[in-house]
Amino acid sequence: MKQQLLALVAALGLAVGGVTAQAADTVKIGLMAPLTGSWASEGQGMKKIVELLAEQQNAKGGVLGKQIEVVTEDDGGDPRTASLAAQRLTTRGVVGVIGTYGSSVTEASQAIYDEVKLPQIANGSTAIRLTEKGFKHFFRTAPRDDEQGRMAARTIDKLGFKKVAILHDNTSYAKGLADEANALLKDQGAEVVFFDALTPGERDYTAILTKLKGANPDVVLFTGYYPEAGLLLRQKKDMNWQVPFLGGDATNNVDLVKIAGKEAAEGFYFLSPPQPRDLDTPDAAAFLADYQKKYNELPPSIWAMLAGDGFRVMVAGIAGAKSTDSDKIAAYLHKDLKDYPGLSGPISFDAKGDREGEVYRVYKVDAEGNFVLQKL
Amino acid sequence: MEEFFQQLTNGLAVGGIYALIALGYTMVYGVLKLINFAHGDLFTYGAYLGLTLLTSLALTDRLGFALGVLVLALMVMGLVAVLGAILERAAYRPLRESPRLSAVVSALGASIFLQNALMLLYGARFQVYPDDILPTATLNVFGLYLPLMRVLIVLASVLMMVALYLFIQKTRIGAAIRAAAIDQGAARLMGIDVNRVILLVFLMGPALGGAAGLMVGLYYGQINFTMGWVYGMKAFTAAILGGIGNIPGAMVGGLLLGVIEALGAAYISIAWKDAIAFLVLILILIVRPTGLLGERVADKI
Amino acid sequence: MKHGKPFVVVVLAALLAAAPLFLNAYQVDVLNSIGLYGLLALGLNLILGEAGLFNMGHAAFYAVGAYTAAILNTRYQIPILWTLPLSGLAAGLFALAVARPVVHLRGDYLLIVTIGVGEIVRIALVNDIFGMTGGANGIFGISRPQLFGIVIRRPQEFFYLIWGCVALTIVLFLRLKQSRFGRALNYLREDEVAAEGSGINTAYYKLAAFGLGAAWAGMAGTLFAAKMTIISPESFNFWESVVLFMIVILGGAGNIVGVLLAAFLVIGLPELFREFASARMLVFGLVMVVMMVFRPQGLLPARGGRFSPITLARGRG
Repeated sequence: MKQQLLALVAALGLAVGGVTAQAADTVKIGLMAPLTGSWASEGQGMKKIVELLAEQQNAKGGVLGKQIEVVTEDDGGDPRTASLAAQRLTTRGVVGVIGTYGSSVTEASQAIYDEVKLPQIANGSTAIRLTEKGFKHFFRTAPRDDEQGRMAARTIDKLGFKKVAILHDNTSYAKGLADEANALLKDQGAEVVFFDALTPGERDYTAILTKLKGANPDVVLFTGYYPEAGLLLRQKKDMNWQVPFLGGDATNNVDLVKIAGKEAAEGFYFLSPPQPRDLDTPDAAAFLADYQKKYNELPPSIWAMLAGDGFRVMVAGIAGAKSTDSDKIAAYLHKDLKDYPGLSGPISFDAKGDREGEVYRVYKVDAEGNFVLQKL
Repeated sequence: MEEFFQQLTNGLAVGGIYALIALGYTMVYGVLKLINFAHGDLFTYGAYLGLTLLTSLALTDRLGFALGVLVLALMVMGLVAVLGAILERAAYRPLRESPRLSAVVSALGASIFLQNALMLLYGARFQVYPDDILPTATLNVFGLYLPLMRVLIVLASVLMMVALYLFIQKTRIGAAIRAAAIDQGAARLMGIDVNRVILLVFLMGPALGGAAGLMVGLYYGQINFTMGWVYGMKAFTAAILGGIGNIPGAMVGGLLLGVIEALGAAYISIAWKDAIAFLVLILILIVRPTGLLGERVADKI
Repeated sequence: MKHGKPFVVVVLAALLAAAPLFLNAYQVDVLNSIGLYGLLALGLNLILGEAGLFNMGHAAFYAVGAYTAAILNTRYQIPILWTLPLSGLAAGLFALAVARPVVHLRGDYLLIVTIGVGEIVRIALVNDIFGMTGGANGIFGISRPQLFGIVIRRPQEFFYLIWGCVALTIVLFLRLKQSRFGRALNYLREDEVAAEGSGINTAYYKLAAFGLGAAWAGMAGTLFAAKMTIISPESFNFWESVVLFMIVILGGAGNIVGVLLAAFLVIGLPELFREFASARMLVFGLVMVVMMVFRPQGLLPARGGRFSPITLARGRG
């Protein structure tokens, strides 16, 4: 028995050790995404988009005369798995990394990439502090929570709401946005009549809605994610409660309307970077058509699209720097990349690695369940 | 006061689902002393199978809402019951004579397997039931809003619980299940085929869990592959609250847990809701170490 | 088989000690993760394996330790490794306080209570209890540990820190196992009534096992905080407790070598299965079932007669 176990351990060691670097005839770009776990749908969308983009780029000749190879690692949507995924990517000869979705997950990987100076472009991580630590090789195509907080407060003001209920879900992202908006709303004289968090992953939010209704707000600002937003809208309709809802950018997902039902989703406002199809760039339209053709569905969300932008920017950085040297890529992205035509609009980075410019728009769901860009 | 009663009905609707799932835990535990951690995932399979059958067979179009859903429920319950029996055969039967915690680990492994199998089969995205087949009427009773579907769900779960209770208490097979739960050796000597009792329990528990999954899918609309974990945990808590192994206990525990959650959210804090529920559970167990309806068992000497 | 044992141990230890020389950073970091979970599981093994107390909330003690270390380090600039004894103490005392009113509960009731404690701790951390835990963001900016003037930052350096702790733990726990205390725990697990009857203060020993196991989790928490430099509540969720529970039972409750071996499998296999991408956890779940079915007593069952310690007491309530 003991021999068998020893053999097993040895086999395990060999197998983990068996991953060796191949010859460098390709340019490898890493993708860190939640392929399993709660955010698996986002991660799998990220993978599909980046792989399609790589395929297209390779058809055009790749970069620096070499083909691009995407190396994907599963971060499981949790920090510990992410730190292992990051360590693994650093040993697989990638020249840069795209990802990942959640802020705390990205945070667990930042120091690891920084240690070996790998450029990292996060796609869904909006927490402010990620770019406040002075990492030279960290970028993100996602906007920051403070920008969105400002946008939320301004939108509520413009729509003329005075009594606001704020509901978040106690995730790092949603709490940050809720706090940001809460402070700004109070500054501009709005009354915040409710501030609490629901537990994500449940099905029945009627207890919370009943309590919310008791606070009698003009508008409910929900800063959490689309699965809960959809259920809240659906159950709100069942209650015959007619209060308008405003959601944060994590509610921007095609499944929101499916979950809520068209009738319940109608009139829902949300903030988001522009949808690809609301951009007039031929790139975005063409890409969406290709995506639909290849996978027979639409990308799950803007966040997966932002991973695609991360990939394109990374390729542009490598091409622009004419090198796979990380310092040169980072320098190019910081200084020379200006108004790069991304799928989600023009992309430039500031000195911290944040995306420049106003990214947020206000959307409203119409009777058909379409997301319609609002002019406010 | 109106809000209080509203929250009470909210809690009862959630609790009814917990209770149905808790029955599966408690029945298996009663006979095998096994915590079947994969039970929550069987519930999820009920929801997914329900969606697939609903959309592919278009039962409600052909048979009308009431009959269609009834046929659908029977099919889902049957399929999930078979799944439960397969699970028992593959993951638990080989461990019957082993340390009981080994079976728990096997159950956890099975849970991971089932969950990820579902993800690979259906994809990781949320699946959504069509929302145009349900009656959307909302009843207004003394100022309380009661959507018709909610009322139907509570009625259906109570009906199933009563049926199960009568079955266990009044039939010969029910008596055999009770006997096997009290003392397997003695039951065997009395000519009860304990293996068949175990099989039966692994058919009935998952069938109820599958029905709960279908109800969640029909009413809440949104399902995903990880939802069994949350519901399973709640239902397990409910089963313990009522006294695990005790069938009326699971019903009481489920309904009570739903109400505690709703009232905790309403009057203390939404964010602390689950912590409050666990705290109440712990306090109850300190006072009644075997749950509300669990029997006080004297230690054998 | 018996006489070959010391030799095998020496070879394995030497191999492990030399591992960072021929493994890359990722592989070393997998070993670090295994070491960390090994430490946690050895602590849990005292409670669950040696004393037979069903604890599925071990992550709570892990969290208390990690947060104690992080708070002391970021607020009071205490070097992170100096907080080791304090975070161990904090976690141990916390465990004593919560276990005291519930430790007499029968198996599965204790199981749900410990799950509940784990969830309450996590929810408290998420809700920024005492305004000190940073809510869902957690605590960041934890300083790198320093040992003998060397700043530990690379996985290779952490490897020696973590596995040094594991080695120390093994030596300590082996001695403990052979002591009066260890025997009392085993007696308790095998037959509580008889143990009480022969004059063992069962409540005392149960609490002691809880306190000691939790203290170990607390210290492992410090190492985790030092390694990650950022901690947040999601690192201490129910799933972590479940993983630890699986490690101890799979290893063969009560067997130190078995538990470490199981840590290798439970933490190592999902890494090994990365080649399966989205299917990796599916394969992992299947492997867990298969391993339990073929080794129902655990990989290396605890020594002790023909009567298995915690057999399925079927039909006896």
